[in-house]
Amino acid sequence: MAASQRKGGSARSRPRRVATWREQHAWSLRTSMQRLSAHRLGTLLTVLVMGFALALPLAFWLVLGNLEQLASSLGRTQAVNVFMQLDASSSSVQTLADKLRQRDDVSTVTIKTPDQGLHELASMQGFANALGALDYNPLPYALVVQPRQHATATGVHALAVALRAMPGVEQVQDNGAWRQRLDALVDAGRRVVIVLALLLALAALLVVGNSVRLDIRGRAEEIGVLKLVGASHAFVRRPFLYAGLWYGLASGVVASVLVLVMEAALAGPVGELVASYGGRLQIGGLAWWQLLLAPLLAAALGWLGARLVSARWLRRAA
Amino acid sequence: MAGNARPAPCADASPRASPHCYPRRNVHHPCLAVIHFDQVSKHYATGQEALSQVSFEVASGEMVFVTGHSGAGKSTLLKLLALIERPSEGQVTLDGQNLAGVRHGRVPALRRKLGMVFQDHRLLMDRSVFANVELPLIIVGMTLAERARRVRAALQKVGLLEHEDKPPQTLSTGEQQRVGIARAIVARPAVLIADEPTGNLDPQLAAEIMALFADFQQVGTTVLVASHDLRLIKQMKKRVVILDHGRMVDDVPAMEVA
Repeated sequence: MAASQRKGGSARSRPRRVATWREQHAWSLRTSMQRLSAHRLGTLLTVLVMGFALALPLAFWLVLGNLEQLASSLGRTQAVNVFMQLDASSSSVQTLADKLRQRDDVSTVTIKTPDQGLHELASMQGFANALGALDYNPLPYALVVQPRQHATATGVHALAVALRAMPGVEQVQDNGAWRQRLDALVDAGRRVVIVLALLLALAALLVVGNSVRLDIRGRAEEIGVLKLVGASHAFVRRPFLYAGLWYGLASGVVASVLVLVMEAALAGPVGELVASYGGRLQIGGLAWWQLLLAPLLAAALGWLGARLVSARWLRRAA
Repeated sequence: MAGNARPAPCADASPRASPHCYPRRNVHHPCLAVIHFDQVSKHYATGQEALSQVSFEVASGEMVFVTGHSGAGKSTLLKLLALIERPSEGQVTLDGQNLAGVRHGRVPALRRKLGMVFQDHRLLMDRSVFANVELPLIIVGMTLAERARRVRAALQKVGLLEHEDKPPQTLSTGEQQRVGIARAIVARPAVLIADEPTGNLDPQLAAEIMALFADFQQVGTTVLVASHDLRLIKQMKKRVVILDHGRMVDDVPAMEVA
């Protein structure tokens, strides 16, 4: 009789257990698909709302990534101006320049004599008359130090600190404050993005949870039948977990596609911006792994939402 | 097998003293009561006394009708067996297992021992006849080939093999009820219980359904049917337990049903 057959079931072989697992999951998968396609409009709306909610942090992530890159590439291209002491001689300046050219983190060093400096100033509008009133040249020798091509912002900063300690150097201007401000801005931006991403993920969780809750309520009769014919709690719940997974996966794909569309829409203006910087700026879209990660994370989120809701509502539907 | 005769009293100690006095897996033991109600009462929160002090046994392979007016407690009695409800007092034993000891998480496993048929058949209308009957087999994770074989055997038994791909609502009420019966027996449970299975059917169809239940008894299944259709019950010549306002007022052996 069936009872004795099932009694032997506890000692079932491994392949038998795998087959059982496979059959049960295949049913849950089919059932979840059937249920979602039974109310297409509702499913579509849920996926779109969730997709938009998830596209926002993804877009912020993209913008932030580019801002970071922008910050470091701008910092990299900035030359460091070194102003020598007024009494520095031409030969000592030349020696220092030669020494700096030996350094790994320096690409070029240009010497500006006081006369060149005065000439540059004089060529600027409004300075000519003021300079004419001077009876001597107040300008020191200056070195324009161009850091190595791929120096990082911290590398440039370290170079500036080293320059400051060198003999005969009066003042070093490396625009470090500007870079720090940009870094602080990017850092603040990163936090805003994290907070927003968490809030929007919570919103997505609520959306998927509510949809699964409605699914459970709409399927109360079916759930009752399943329980009466001996389905376990896990078996009844599984299709709803799959549904959450599909909602999440689909909305993650929607979010990725939205960001790709945004990238395409912005490609023109961004290209012009890059061109205006002589192609030195690197602006990119999301990497393939980021585009792949978004749907996977969203799927996990959907599953979690479904799980949180089903624990509560399935017990009630019993 | 006990057949239609009343089960002989057990030589062991009384079931109340030891609910496990019966060897659990030896289904064909002559004195084995598959179903045992011992002083069972059920009060609902509304104050209604659905069952009071009901005691009876059903032997393995026996077919028993439970009858009485509506509200006599027939449905409650079946619900206690399926653990849809739990008794307020007394003990229910199924297949040697005291149901009081079945925890919430083990209820599904217990229900898989039972085949259940309902008055409103409770089919899933958005699935085919085959998918409905297949459900208990999927729950235990049977492979498709095995499922197909069993489902077709069950559908053949109830005479609906050619309707397996149809949705249930295209079938007549009697046919839908037979789909429900196929679903109840497809996993070959030791015990089949039915709550007013002929309630919505005309006499001709009702007789056919009852004949089906008698067929399952013939192959060794224990059958418990709640019904208020006395005329039909008399025709069947099976044991009848009669309830009135929650009390068991008579237990008529099959031989004496006239």
